[in-house]
Amino acid sequence: MSEHTTTGMVTVTIDDVTASVPKGTLVIEAARQLGVMIPHFCYHPKLAPDANCRMCLVEIEKMPRLQTSCSTQVTEGMVVRSSVPTVKQARKSVLDFILANHPLDCPVCDQGGRCDLQDFSHEYTASGTKFVELKRVFQKEYFSPVIETQMNRCVQCLRCVRYCDEVMDVRALAPAGRGTLTKIKSFGVHELDCEFCGGCVQICPVGAITSRLSMYEFRPWMLKRTESTCGYCGDGCQMTFQAKDNDLIEVNSTLGVGRNNGDLCSRGYFGYHANVHEDRLQSPMIRCDGELVEVPWEEALAVVAEKLTAIKSANGADAIGGLIASRCTNEDLYLFQKFMRVVIGTNQLDSSARYGHMNGIHALQRVQGTHRWSMSFDDLLSANAILTVGTNLTETNPITALKVKEAVKRRGAELITVEALEPAIGTISNIALLSTHHLPLAPDQFASGTIGLLKAVIQENLVDAELVAHAKDYIDAIKKQVDAISWTDIEARTGLTAEIFQDSAKVFTRAERAVILVGQGVLRSQGGYGMTLNLMDLLVLTGKLNRIGCGLAPLAEENNDQGSVEMGAVSELLPGGKDCRSREAQQSLEAAWGCSLPSGEEGTLMDMLGKAKRGILKAMIIVGENPIGSLPPDSGIEDAIGKLEFLVCQELFLTDTAKRADVIFPACSYAEKDGTFTSTEGHTQAVRKAIEPLGESRPDWEILSALSVMMDHPLEYESVKAIGKEMRDLMPGTRTLGPSPLPPRPCLDTLTQYLQEGYQDTLATRYCLPGMKATHTFVLNVGQSIFHSGKFSTRAKGLIQIQSQGVLSMHPEDAERLGLACGDGVCLENQLGQVKTTVKLSDRIPCGVLFFPEHFDQDIQRLFAVSVDNDTHVPYFKCAHVEVSKAS
Amino acid sequence: MAKYEKILLKNMEQPGYTGSLKEYEQTGGYQAFRKVCEGMAPSDIIETVKLSGLRGRGGAGFPTGVKWSFIPKDHPGPKYLCCNADESEPGTFKDRQLMERDPHQVLEGMAITCYTIGAETAYIYIRGEFWLGAKVLDQAIAEAKKAGYLGSNVLGTGKTINIFVHRGAGAYICGEETALLESLEGKRGKPRFKPPFPATHGLYQKPTVVNNVETLANIPHILNKGAAWFAAIGAPPKGTGTRIFCLSGHIKRPGNYEVPMGVTFREMIYEIGGGMRSDKPLKAFIPGGASAPFLTPEHLDVKMDFESLAMAGSMLGSGGITVMEEGTSMVWAALRLMEFFYHESCGKCTPCREGSSWLVQTLQRISRREGRMSDLDLLLDLCKSIEGRTVCAFGEAEVSPIVSTMRHWRSEYEELIREAEAAHPVKQEIPVLSQI
Ligand SMILES: Cc1cc2nc3c(=O)[nH]c(=O)nc-3n(C[C@H](O)[C@H](O)[C@H](O)COP(=O)(O)O)c2cc1C
Ligand code: SF4
Ligand code: SF4
Ligand code: SF4
Ligand code: FES
Repeated sequence: MSEHTTTGMVTVTIDDVTASVPKGTLVIEAARQLGVMIPHFCYHPKLAPDANCRMCLVEIEKMPRLQTSCSTQVTEGMVVRSSVPTVKQARKSVLDFILANHPLDCPVCDQGGRCDLQDFSHEYTASGTKFVELKRVFQKEYFSPVIETQMNRCVQCLRCVRYCDEVMDVRALAPAGRGTLTKIKSFGVHELDCEFCGGCVQICPVGAITSRLSMYEFRPWMLKRTESTCGYCGDGCQMTFQAKDNDLIEVNSTLGVGRNNGDLCSRGYFGYHANVHEDRLQSPMIRCDGELVEVPWEEALAVVAEKLTAIKSANGADAIGGLIASRCTNEDLYLFQKFMRVVIGTNQLDSSARYGHMNGIHALQRVQGTHRWSMSFDDLLSANAILTVGTNLTETNPITALKVKEAVKRRGAELITVEALEPAIGTISNIALLSTHHLPLAPDQFASGTIGLLKAVIQENLVDAELVAHAKDYIDAIKKQVDAISWTDIEARTGLTAEIFQDSAKVFTRAERAVILVGQGVLRSQGGYGMTLNLMDLLVLTGKLNRIGCGLAPLAEENNDQGSVEMGAVSELLPGGKDCRSREAQQSLEAAWGCSLPSGEEGTLMDMLGKAKRGILKAMIIVGENPIGSLPPDSGIEDAIGKLEFLVCQELFLTDTAKRADVIFPACSYAEKDGTFTSTEGHTQAVRKAIEPLGESRPDWEILSALSVMMDHPLEYESVKAIGKEMRDLMPGTRTLGPSPLPPRPCLDTLTQYLQEGYQDTLATRYCLPGMKATHTFVLNVGQSIFHSGKFSTRAKGLIQIQSQGVLSMHPEDAERLGLACGDGVCLENQLGQVKTTVKLSDRIPCGVLFFPEHFDQDIQRLFAVSVDNDTHVPYFKCAHVEVSKAS
Repeated sequence: MAKYEKILLKNMEQPGYTGSLKEYEQTGGYQAFRKVCEGMAPSDIIETVKLSGLRGRGGAGFPTGVKWSFIPKDHPGPKYLCCNADESEPGTFKDRQLMERDPHQVLEGMAITCYTIGAETAYIYIRGEFWLGAKVLDQAIAEAKKAGYLGSNVLGTGKTINIFVHRGAGAYICGEETALLESLEGKRGKPRFKPPFPATHGLYQKPTVVNNVETLANIPHILNKGAAWFAAIGAPPKGTGTRIFCLSGHIKRPGNYEVPMGVTFREMIYEIGGGMRSDKPLKAFIPGGASAPFLTPEHLDVKMDFESLAMAGSMLGSGGITVMEEGTSMVWAALRLMEFFYHESCGKCTPCREGSSWLVQTLQRISRREGRMSDLDLLLDLCKSIEGRTVCAFGEAEVSPIVSTMRHWRSEYEELIREAEAAHPVKQEIPVLSQI
């Protein structure tokens, strides 16, 4: 649709109704707007018209024959008839043709009851068929572990193929054969190997492509629908849980709903079983004689309340710390921080947003005074240039990736990709293939890449003229820094010449609307905060910081990283993302809460662990977070947790951390509770209860609320709605109603302050190139796979069927040099230890780089050293330098 | 036989003519291109071709000059010419001869067309089985390049014209111009819906002309001898020039014959073709390739031009004339073609994909003497539901054998069905609601 010019309106008459619609509208869409439903199979608003099914034929005055309304654009004065006898006969005949070979196995078809072919047949061909010949029958063929095909049912509309190509850019499917013998197949002789987004399943109008996860388990009318928000990544997809007998049967998404607009990724579509995994903790447990034993809720709560009260009175409130996962709802997060600040009375609290997202937040706050993007998700679509840095976009934020694909493929945006990625064609999509300027880097050199771009901006005189007039000192200071760094040094680290940086910088500067996407490769890597600030400098220097449609967007990895920040579930921020040291913020919160805030020092995750090791922190409440699983041994996490006198975990599963707990409260998953999540863009969206809590599990907020009562500081709420109301009264931007909120504008006072002096203190540390690895070593990077999210998804049976283990990816050239073949055992070694794993060849990653999916990294973590950011206290442990040898 | 002057087959019928560049030049070859390159305005060339009345020889008979004029003049970026050499229509084999025996005539026509529409790149999409033609064309292109007719700076004009031969992989549908473009782009050969037309959104969505081999071979002659000369040949004003007719079937002298348009079928079959093979009477003929509706001896005096054939209820199509003698089963003939169309339906659109399989199965059943009278109306109903409802003109083509044989020889179908009914009496139909 986007290619059509939509300037001006034209008048059309469809079935005697006259109205004016934008010029270029397709007849089928115009009809829909006028309330006339034209039956169709191959048309889909997301796809370019293909006009192959011929179901949508209509009569158009002055045109010789019936026309396909899905491919014809309205013109001024057009008169369309969709219910005259010829049109009806045409529809009936198309259905007769389709039904000739269609198996009519509706009783065993999962699409039955929500099938376009059933519905249209019911409406347009009440009579039987005249077809007495033999039906074409395909043998059943195995397709893939999670997607099933039944080609006898296929109506050849090619929606699946077109979706996989046009929207996903994966091209895993193709029609093979011709005529009635055409089948939809995966490319190659192997089974389907793709992004497993489920899009083809969802877009198929009949039951020809279905999900194996729910095969034969339901009839659609048995399912209870619940609209909710996906709990995997920060893209915040809107989706529908379909439940039966208190079990999750499947997940769908709906065109026009949410920023995902009907699309999902494999985690959203095939990952729902993690919520209802059989290992879910079902009742509270306390440790008795070293063993965890199940006890009633009252008993467990009483033990915790008593113990925490005792520790508090003996050692002070700051002897207790709290940690929460960003997977929790805003209501959980809000109550958690209120519990810590009010009931316990400490600032020792943190969330998993600390693992990287805080770098983005601090950079935004520092330069533009906001904790949200100053652009919206939709601005990605209207961008003229998009710069991605260390995003691993397809795998980490797949729906953001879809927007980038659409911006480039349909709207002609220029794309600059600074990624640890090679433009190789593979089984999943690759944004490097779409980029106009691709800067492949090792994952420890994103800082060099960023500095290269800044140097090019300065050197090529691309600095905004207005800025030159206002902020000479700032520009000079940066100039001085980049002048001191030579192109030779940059080239040595990036393998890229000045030219590509200059070209990219020009493209970026020239763009009217330019967006920077910052991913985990930056946010979670050494110097992440400094790199993000440098990228903010890029926006400032090119005069784009305060321009509409431009902005820098740190991409959240976890679904509610942004919520953690906004709810104040990190020690330095109060609800609303306010600085916890601001007296003004404290006062207004004290007024709202009717109590005073703790005055003790802040304690972030790493601070707390340090204190625990030193025996200062005695107890921790850990909600849904598994630091032993997340942090490498080098962090001393085992020691820290071991030294705690008392550990309480609210958990879904018996994680490595929960195994150490003195008390475990069984929490329920987000499928079992109401609340909200805030997407990476800052849009607060509803989470709704699809099934009843499993066993005796309870929502996290309820557990904390119960504890507060028993600790004589009651934080009582009638329901989760009451928490929501309190949140909204405190923070007007957290309403769930309506579409995305308007993004905040940069605060000019903050910007002025930044340009005058705010930039100075970090300048020297962030404008310097990272060290280089020794030539014979590799940069080992752990990061996200498209099929998983954290460790949670490894409990989803669908995702485990797609990817059940971690293997090390290596570029084929490196492998050849080392005499390694796919599937060979390798030994990785550095000063921290030695690990054995299996290697897989992938020309998607650059030479000299090794990639390992973090979801399976328990073993490999030993090789990573942890360092902590001075400014943001973010722990860095995603990259290591290792030597590789063939395992004997 | 020497009654009509030939244009396209003239050179190659000279004894010893091999089609080399030297020989082609000796017969006046590339003079037209030279003339054009001396500075003829593209608009003048288009005007000349329009005035000549040349219409496409690929099947649809669209006026060539008009087609060229649809190419946007000041379109930035590349434009393309595609020579349609897929020649897969059963009973049609003229392009093959043109390419194998006098390749430069085609290349010169292409060079002029490229010059006219502003294309730097042209493709010859040649039927995969024509390996000899592909080889000959490749050699001829190399020769022409060496001589400066092709390549960069052709004949010192500063223009670039490159021609590439691309071999198809064996699908009839790739002769349909938009399927040809898809195939050329490396995709599955399936027609695109139109509009937009190739003239604006063709190869790689760029302005593109698709012309048949024979159409292009005419171009040098028109420019050499002028529009008026060409327009006077044949059956003016709407059927100008000659056509190469491909005679096949029960005929004494099958082969390619170039005659002016407007000659009658009687002359073609009985004089030029030497009459029926075994001197049995003529029963039927297909006048323009497998897609053209069958005609009967009553139509022998119809003239072979676009208009006259349309009036007779058929079409001139690709110029392939297939002759059938008395004794040929028309149901069998229709079935044979239907089997071809069923095999070749690309499967993109529902009516053609499903309809062709339904039609072929029903016809097979009738031939096997297992038909029922109701099948006849069903066949016609199905044909009606295909015609005009498909993405490409294949839909019209595939129904023409059935519709036209039913029109003229319905009794043959009925005969087979009566035999079937005699062999397998129709049982009484079981009432839907029995008296329970
Ligand atoms: C099913 C189908 C098959 C066709 N096959 C051929 C072919 O083999 N050769 C050809 O020149 N044109 C073929 N055509 C016609 C082309 O689509 C197109 O009209 C022609 O190439 C235009 O060239 P012209 O204007 O010079 O005739 C076919 C058309 C259809 C619908
Ligand atoms: S599930 Fe795979 S084949 Fe289907 S649309 Fe997604 S990427 Fe393509
Ligand atoms: S599998 Fe479904 S979506 Fe794909 S072509 Fe067949 S009917 Fe259409
Ligand atoms: S009419 Fe037949 S050949 Fe043409 S597009 Fe449709 S299916 Fe393909
Ligand atoms: S919906 Fe228009 S042809 Fe399929």
